[in-house]
Amino acid sequence: MNADIALILGADGLAGSAVYLIAGLGLVLIFSVTRVIFVPFGDIAVFAALSLGAMEMGRLPAAIMLIGLFAVIALIMELVELRRDRAWRRLPATLLIWGLAPLLACALAGWATSHGPEGLRVIAAVLLAVPLGPLINRVALQPIAHASVLTLLIAALVLHFLLSGLGLLWFGPEGIRTKASLDGAWVLSEGFSINHQVLLTIAAAFLLAAAFYVGFERTRLGKVLRATASNRTGARLVGIRPRHTALVAHTVAALLAGIVGVLISPVTTIYYDSGLMLGLKAFVAAIIGGLISYPLTALGAVAVGLVESFASFWSGGLKEVIVFGLLIPVLILRSGLTTHADEAEEDEV
Amino acid sequence: MNSRVRTAGGLLLALAIIAAAPQLLGKFAVVLLNDIGLATLVVLGLVLVSGVGGAISFGQAAFVGIAAYATAWLTTTQAVSPWLGLAFALLLTCSCAWLIGAMTMRLGGHYLPLSTIAWGLALPLLFGNIDALGSHSGLGNIPPIHLGAWSLDQDRSMFPLIWLLVLGGGWFAVNLLRSRSGRMMRALRGGEVLLASLGADAYRVRLTLFVLAAAYAAVAGWLYAHAYRFVSPTPFSLHASIEYMFMMVVGGTSQLAGAFLGSAVFMGLDDLLKDVMPRISGRGSEISSLIFALIFLLILQRVPRGLGRPLKRLLGQVRTQRPMPAAAELALPRRELPARGSLLLSIDGVVRRFGGLTAVDRVSFDVRAGEIVGLIGPNGAGKSTLFNLITGALPLTDGKVRFLDAPIAGLPQREIALRGIARTFQHVKLRSNMTLLENVALGAHARSQCGLARGGLRLDRDEEARIAGEAMRQLERIGLADRAHDLAGSLPLGTQRLLEIARALAADPVLIVLDEPAAGLRLVEKEGLISLLDTLRAEGMTVLIVEHDMEFVMNLVDRLVVLNFGSKICEGRPDEVRADPQVQAAYLGSDA
Amino acid sequence: MFCRIRPLRTVRSVLVLGLLSAAALAQAADLKVGVILPLSGPVAAQGLSDAKGIKAGMKFQDTVNGHKITVIQLDDASDPSVSARNARKLTDQDHVDVLIGTGGVPGAMAIAAVAHEAKTPLVSFTPLSVTGDAADWAKTTTQSAQTMISAVVGHMKRAGVKTVGYIGFSDSWGDLAYESLKKSADAAGIKIVANERYARSDNSVTGQVLKIMAARPDAVLGGTAGTAGALPYIALRDRGYKGAIYGTHGVLGPEFVRLVGAAGQGLIVPTGPALVGDQLPDSNPSKTITASYRKAYQEVNGEPPSDVFSAYAFDAWLVVARAAAKVPAKLEPGTQAYRAALRDAIAATRDLPATEGVLTYQPGTPYGTDEHSVVIVKLDQSKWVLLP
Repeated sequence: MNADIALILGADGLAGSAVYLIAGLGLVLIFSVTRVIFVPFGDIAVFAALSLGAMEMGRLPAAIMLIGLFAVIALIMELVELRRDRAWRRLPATLLIWGLAPLLACALAGWATSHGPEGLRVIAAVLLAVPLGPLINRVALQPIAHASVLTLLIAALVLHFLLSGLGLLWFGPEGIRTKASLDGAWVLSEGFSINHQVLLTIAAAFLLAAAFYVGFERTRLGKVLRATASNRTGARLVGIRPRHTALVAHTVAALLAGIVGVLISPVTTIYYDSGLMLGLKAFVAAIIGGLISYPLTALGAVAVGLVESFASFWSGGLKEVIVFGLLIPVLILRSGLTTHADEAEEDEV
Repeated sequence: MNSRVRTAGGLLLALAIIAAAPQLLGKFAVVLLNDIGLATLVVLGLVLVSGVGGAISFGQAAFVGIAAYATAWLTTTQAVSPWLGLAFALLLTCSCAWLIGAMTMRLGGHYLPLSTIAWGLALPLLFGNIDALGSHSGLGNIPPIHLGAWSLDQDRSMFPLIWLLVLGGGWFAVNLLRSRSGRMMRALRGGEVLLASLGADAYRVRLTLFVLAAAYAAVAGWLYAHAYRFVSPTPFSLHASIEYMFMMVVGGTSQLAGAFLGSAVFMGLDDLLKDVMPRISGRGSEISSLIFALIFLLILQRVPRGLGRPLKRLLGQVRTQRPMPAAAELALPRRELPARGSLLLSIDGVVRRFGGLTAVDRVSFDVRAGEIVGLIGPNGAGKSTLFNLITGALPLTDGKVRFLDAPIAGLPQREIALRGIARTFQHVKLRSNMTLLENVALGAHARSQCGLARGGLRLDRDEEARIAGEAMRQLERIGLADRAHDLAGSLPLGTQRLLEIARALAADPVLIVLDEPAAGLRLVEKEGLISLLDTLRAEGMTVLIVEHDMEFVMNLVDRLVVLNFGSKICEGRPDEVRADPQVQAAYLGSDA
Repeated sequence: MFCRIRPLRTVRSVLVLGLLSAAALAQAADLKVGVILPLSGPVAAQGLSDAKGIKAGMKFQDTVNGHKITVIQLDDASDPSVSARNARKLTDQDHVDVLIGTGGVPGAMAIAAVAHEAKTPLVSFTPLSVTGDAADWAKTTTQSAQTMISAVVGHMKRAGVKTVGYIGFSDSWGDLAYESLKKSADAAGIKIVANERYARSDNSVTGQVLKIMAARPDAVLGGTAGTAGALPYIALRDRGYKGAIYGTHGVLGPEFVRLVGAAGQGLIVPTGPALVGDQLPDSNPSKTITASYRKAYQEVNGEPPSDVFSAYAFDAWLVVARAAAKVPAKLEPGTQAYRAALRDAIAATRDLPATEGVLTYQPGTPYGTDEHSVVIVKLDQSKWVLLP
């Protein structure tokens, strides 16, 4: 190991960190608002990437089928509820959110497949990911929103298997790489260059992290989200609908997932099951941030990316062992720093 | 008598099935049932640690793997008997579990499950990278188990061994949960403070459960290695751990029977789909895992508490707990109560600050043996804080507390409880899914000793009878003896408070500290409580009550201590205190 | 009166039914083939290719000696325990006459154990390490990894390579390729200066590649397969590696070629003849069968074959079909006698031209091909070119 190698590994690590950061932001967002560990985040990112790949090959992305299916189910569920509550004046909004918006995203993707410059395809792929988040939440998680934490976690895991299974079915087992949005590389010295795509990812990570920080602290919506996170019942008492905040949280997180997907697909081979590892490592970053603090999540992401990179140099096969093995001392440290309320849990029957 | 006959009959039937099934069923059905049996073993442990103990573990498959590799390595490289392999596997796995658990069982909230994901992922990867363990190709040619002259090298011959162990494991678990240790394990979800007030250490109890679950997994791993006679890293991956978790949730998280039910449903359904789907469609095998996931989601939505409970109801078996026989003659050892009037508890200049706020400001008073002292004051006076300081739930900022002539300031809650101070809680901490008798029996935890092994093997009958006797005695005192086997969750609040007092009494305390016992009680209930406390005083018990209800305390206590804004403003007999102008001003405002 | 006529009628109908069903049964019991493939999980790509090869085989020949060949296909999700369980199910419940499968070495080994116990022949298409009488029941159509890697090392030696670096998967395939490399390299006097591994799902191998380049090898061998195998070559090119690059036959596939792009220019891999069928000289014994294979594959899958896995699977089908033709006609499929006879016929396969070489099975080893069936190809401008 000399300075050159360290530099290269460092740059490589930071590239990974940027990805984990963006993903970590999304995970923390969903967890803090809904208390669900949203494992399928990685799968949504993978769907965006695979859709972009399909569009590039001139094939209609199969994610459209998924969105269509879920949108229909969600619409039915919403309509049943509207009927039960006789709240028909909510009908236009319902149709817009659960019917029109996903349809538009699919239409754009369909159009971009046959026409359109690469840039449009990228945007279409991201927009295709956006409805997936709230749809999955509405169809699978909202009906069990009052279940125990364990049940929600299990449901999230099952969703991951469902989505990756669909990915295998529709996109096949082979991996893809998409065309880079930015070609070329920034050559710093002999044998050391950073891909422009990687720089773009890092820049995006910075911007998004800053936007999150400002958004949560300064805007009203941010405060509303935080309110729901700390006390759901209290939030409802002041007129905040937890369902709406969940919808917002999932939409924003899915947007992040889409961005992650299109940012990494040019530089990484994406497979139908790449989502789990991506999600897990981003989760490690989020844990370092205590699942509440965005700046600390950023720090965590940097740590995970660098550890991963240097660990792979030390031993390629044991890289995951090292990264996840190091999680345990971090957890111990973190748990020690947080004072836990003596939570008496409900008995499972 | 009837239940004994039933149990014996059930056991004979089970044994008959185990003996006959391998001969009657086809080879493949036997293999499938073997796999279900192995999974049931692991999920039994998982139910114990995650379902009962509340420590969600995504790493059980890793323990199975450690055991499987341990016995595989030992029997192939050192050419020893698989029975030695069992001992080695158990030892190694439980040691690893102990190490990992020691580090992680203190983690709270969601950190614990995440830590289990961490090592559940890392350990199997480790197996694949060690050459001595065959790297990714694994170890083969593992010798079969020998039972005397028989060699269990066929699936048919492994079947009885596997299922006998499953039965044995289930029996052990059922006994354990009914025993003294088991009651404390079932109380884990009540929180650390509850356990500490009963003299138990939540961390130790959870760690024990964790190692026990690992032991179950280890037995399953040993069986796996000698049944398949081939180990590779894949079956012990995080994916497998997640599947065990699925099985537990499907079967009903805290149900032991759910371990079998969940495993059977999961693996049976999986097998069925994999069989049927390819015949229907060319891409059937990919679709089958999708359909499986969908069915799973449906189960989670429709039956979120698992299939075990509705099934139990269906079979009409609501009462899982065998009523404990109460033997009146046998009793647990009792403490010597100190002489009436001697100094029991002395609070000396106690201070507690929270940042800039002084919640308790140099409060001093004594409590003498055999009296009832009331601690009263308006809202925010610092009563609850002082209460927590005495019982050790909060540390003192300054001052001294002495009990039975020994300092207790700074001791952990557990210690203080063991020295003879029993407490109740403002927000009742009962276990609603345990019976009244069991809840009260929790209180007697510190007076008994039978541990894990004796509890699981049912060698604790004598002690259990004594504990049951004690618990019944306390229940009789509060007039609930006839409802001893009802679930505590079915009681109204007032009665629950009485039950908590009974639990506190079961600990045979010297001093009993009650936190707002009259809150939410009806008049009749209050009168019952007063008469109970009177009786206790007559028997020589000392009581310290924190209370709001003036009527209640005035008729009951010997002395009152009045707090306001953290300081003591008055102390004396009830009539003295009532007449004191400062007290009146504090309660009613300055112009009284 | 009724009582006398009825029984006669009953007897008659029973007789007729009995004859009819006997006739139906006697018509032709199907030859049942149990196929186990990894259609999900880490080696799904390979499994799906294998499935296509089996389909081509079915198209090529679906009856033998009047028996129709039926296939029962199960997915083992790349998990050896499931492979074993599937094998049990197929032999025990479905009474298959022969097993074919699976992709992935541990799974194939697990099936071989079951095949041996259930006395059902197995024809696999992955490397197997079985010996003794277990090898009588298990045969494979692939060349051993040793054979393939030796061919490559032979090329290295001819090219004057003195040092080689290795980067392979963190799984049994990576292990196997490395073991083979070690043996051949030692024999050829080439030193292995680096042994790096990575998981199929990894996104970056920068660390591993840096270590390899620090050792400055003349050549790098990738012990990989499928699209996940492209990563090291891309990384090597990104880091400016200028030496020779070699690979295993697992990377022969269009997705790999597309993915690796320019980074794969000059990549040298060993393979059986199937892939470069049209470039083979007419004298090559595999030429005809390869053409038939390509035709059948094109018909059922709608595209020409472009990877080796389907070819191996097709060969397995071929072996079974040809061997079944030699089984005495009086033996019925579904009986133990038939299975034993089939096993004998498979083991007696001599000089069978297959897409991936000429197959001749010998007792004591599951392999049927040797170095004569290996050719070296080079990736040039995204096309595989046969090297002489």
